Amino acid sequence: MKNIRNFSIIAHIDHGKSTIADRFIQICGGLTDREMESQVLDSMDLERERGITIKAQSVSLDYKASDGQVYHLNFIDTPGHVDFSYEVSRSLEACEGALLVVDASQGVEAQSVANCYTAMDLGLEVMPVLNKIDLPAADPDRVAQEIEDIIGIEAVDACQVSAKSGLGIVELLDRLVETIPPPEGDPDAPLKALIIDSWFDPYVGVITLVRIKQGTLRKRQKMQIMSTGRSYIVDDVGIFTPKRTPRGELSSGQVGYIIAGIKEIDSAKVGDTITLLDNPADEALPGFKEVQPRVFAGMFPVEADDYENFREALDKLRLNDAALQFEPETSSALGFGFRIGFLGMLHMEIVQERLEREYDLNLITTAPTVVYEVETTRGEVLKIHNPSDLPEVNYIEEIREPIIQANILVPQDYLGNVISLCVEKRGVQTNMQYAGSQVSLTYEMPMSEVVLDFFDRLKSVSRGYASFDYDFKRFQAAKLVKVDILINSETVDALAIIAHEDTSQTRGREVVDKMRELIPRQMFDIAIQAAIGRHIIARSTVKALRKNVTAKCYGGDVSRKKKLLEKQKKGKKRMKQFGKVEIPQEAFLAVLKVDNK
Amino acid sequence: MTPAAISFTMPLNIVRLSLIAFMPQFTLLPPLSLYIHIPWCVRKCPYCDFNSHAAGEHLPEDKYIQALVRDLEQQLPSVWGRRLQSIFIGGGTPSLFSPAALQTLLSHIRMLIPCPPDMEVTMEANPGTFEQEKFNGFFQAGINRLSIGVQSFNDKQLKQLGRIHSAQEALNAIEMAKQAGFENINLDIMFGLPEQSLKQGIQDLQAAIDCQPGHLSWYQLTLEPNTLFYSQPPSLPDDEDIWELQQQGQALLQQHGYQQYEISAYAKSGKQCQHNLNYWQFGDYLAIGAGAHGKISRADDHSIRRYAQHRQPQQYLDATNKTSSEHFISNADRSYEFMLNSLRLKQGFTLELFEQYTGLNRQVIEGRCEQAIEKGLLSRQGSQLRASETGYLFLNDLINLFYPDDAN
Repeated sequence: MKNIRNFSIIAHIDHGKSTIADRFIQICGGLTDREMESQVLDSMDLERERGITIKAQSVSLDYKASDGQVYHLNFIDTPGHVDFSYEVSRSLEACEGALLVVDASQGVEAQSVANCYTAMDLGLEVMPVLNKIDLPAADPDRVAQEIEDIIGIEAVDACQVSAKSGLGIVELLDRLVETIPPPEGDPDAPLKALIIDSWFDPYVGVITLVRIKQGTLRKRQKMQIMSTGRSYIVDDVGIFTPKRTPRGELSSGQVGYIIAGIKEIDSAKVGDTITLLDNPADEALPGFKEVQPRVFAGMFPVEADDYENFREALDKLRLNDAALQFEPETSSALGFGFRIGFLGMLHMEIVQERLEREYDLNLITTAPTVVYEVETTRGEVLKIHNPSDLPEVNYIEEIREPIIQANILVPQDYLGNVISLCVEKRGVQTNMQYAGSQVSLTYEMPMSEVVLDFFDRLKSVSRGYASFDYDFKRFQAAKLVKVDILINSETVDALAIIAHEDTSQTRGREVVDKMRELIPRQMFDIAIQAAIGRHIIARSTVKALRKNVTAKCYGGDVSRKKKLLEKQKKGKKRMKQFGKVEIPQEAFLAVLKVDNK
Repeated sequence: MTPAAISFTMPLNIVRLSLIAFMPQFTLLPPLSLYIHIPWCVRKCPYCDFNSHAAGEHLPEDKYIQALVRDLEQQLPSVWGRRLQSIFIGGGTPSLFSPAALQTLLSHIRMLIPCPPDMEVTMEANPGTFEQEKFNGFFQAGINRLSIGVQSFNDKQLKQLGRIHSAQEALNAIEMAKQAGFENINLDIMFGLPEQSLKQGIQDLQAAIDCQPGHLSWYQLTLEPNTLFYSQPPSLPDDEDIWELQQQGQALLQQHGYQQYEISAYAKSGKQCQHNLNYWQFGDYLAIGAGAHGKISRADDHSIRRYAQHRQPQQYLDATNKTSSEHFISNADRSYEFMLNSLRLKQGFTLELFEQYTGLNRQVIEGRCEQAIEKGLLSRQGSQLRASETGYLFLNDLINLFYPDDAN
């Protein structure tokens, strides 16, 4: 056990986590060159394309260090986005140390800071690493200073590497085995295995990635999931090298997989504890939480015939994504679809993209909303996932909206812009701290404002330099109203929004104006209105087209005329018929697309 | 009754018969025209996306005529026993060619394929001085209809359009054409030109009407991909102004006895362009010349073939086989392409004509026609179908209802 090292890498997107991991695998001979497809760990196309890790994975490597000993390294990859902070904390919990990888040309970003604090809270040894030092813009001294200022760990003699060229990687590995402590835990104690992640494999069922905190797990033993009390017979245990390699047993300190005939990933939730049925641990590992979706959006197939395919696709995605929740939804405007719950905006984008790409579905997504709590006059408390479900005003005692704590890191030059953005978004400052050239800001703000366009705006007002991380705090009462959007005097349920009373007029106006831009002119006038209750607060008209006809005749060449018409026709495919009016897909997201002055 | 049940209970020949109803079949072939493409112009206009090439010092006139004749000879087997109903020589600028060359060409055509004596033979001409002198010769060669690319009678606008003639030259050319004996003259006039006012647009049209041609093609300037105007768009009048101009212009044309019979075509009685009518009615046409497109139906296998000749003049001249691409029109595309063309005609089409020219049963479009009628885009009287008033303004929307891959 003294030669085992369990570690994670904390890094911002694009700071080079996957490339460093690839180097480690290469140096330790985990894969032949032929198998060494670039960035092995990000196995989904989408992950590779976006450079974001969605599922946690691990790899076990044997490294012969310069002290002559062979070390067993377990690298646990972590999901890399604010939406997945709970998953990240569980991955970190499975480690004794973490490498903080920072791009030497860019500096520290908020997400890394948040993850670093989590790691330090969990008692991990955090080891700074400066990557991309071969770039002309690299400024290792400044960045090292920044790490010390912001995170408060020694960084003067941080490892300097270039994962791309391989420079300094061996030194980094040597430093790693020296700095990060070996795991502890009695291999003979009752079993406690922490679930880091689980995913569905069509051949063997659920594969669970675990870290054994204490005890030993062997093939054919009866194991028990502590939160549910359900038990399973272990079919196989082993490690990833990164290929799945059976081992017969996993014992204290090790990281590996379990296959136990589990059918649904719900039964092996991230953060849960596995023990043995015969000799159970008396208590579960701390920190287990049920993940709650925070953002909801309706998704509807453009072609009604696709509804069943859509349901199947969601069922399949859910096999691998315990955070995904969905229930059928019917919209008078969009027909049959699903209301889907996500961890956050990135999670939503990923799911949407996978549905369209992997399952070839043409979907209309409504603007995402957060979950509101409504206390009715009869004293019930309702969770509202969909603005159109909001009860009539006279039945509402109080509406409560989710409040998050936003942690923002921004260079001083952009501080003013960021503060005014936060104020505009109804934020309340709770902390501000100067750290080197950056300022660390903490705000409490309504999550609905964050869901809207906060992230994009933050990037634009800071020219991309600000970084951001958030945590859910609480529900808090607020003056909120429902703004309905009407097209040719009919309410389009899928366009309803919940807005703060003070800004509802402006929001209504903005959405109506944006809709007017997005809905193409058609054969008749289209009236777009925003209303609160029966009171119309904004109105605009898409003027009728005079004609739509190709003036010129191409004589004998029919192909050009056909091409032109086909182009028009394709445009229409992305439209949804609402009464006589054709509404393009983007219009359902108009709420998000409102330009800001 | 399920289809499987039919085959058990019905005699085989009846089953076969009912299948035949879905196979295209020609009882009579549509009329046949001939299109001849001359791909050279003095220079390329910024709005033009036709297959035209700036002419160099010397046009390979003789060689090109030989190539055209050879091209036609190669295509004769596909139209054995049929005769022409019209010829159209387009371009480019065919009037760059000499009358002698065109005479040679037309003589060869008359020897190769039967042509009625009074058949319409159109040639496109530009109103430059150089061309006008040849009008006599063209008429003598057997060309009896001249389509003159005037585009505008406003010198400033002509310049913006990159035309190389002046308004005065255009007027002269029309006069010369009449003197040469042409009784059938078309003027191409555009509207919605860069910075054109309503007044200017009407003046332009009035000037054209004053020349008393039998036929006017009055069409809106559109910016086509692969043109200079498309990549560097000029400032065009807004939709409302164009709409007003179109309304007033159509009234003016009507008032002077020009009946609209197609989206952009207006004619005095009996002066409709037979050649273009044949396109719009989904008729057949042979095509010879660089980049020319043809369509031929056959009675033996009930197929309809579209084909295109090599685009580049030099390649066309050199090639042994002049055709560069061809395909057969699928059943689904037949209905769509028929609609695409025939709904452009103000009078529309009859279901009999649909059956005759597509070889399909009318049942294949009746459902969609019903839909279009319900939407108010199509009107029906007996078997005559035409775009409604709204449908004619939103013709693209109407035609799209017949797009092949949508379920009915």
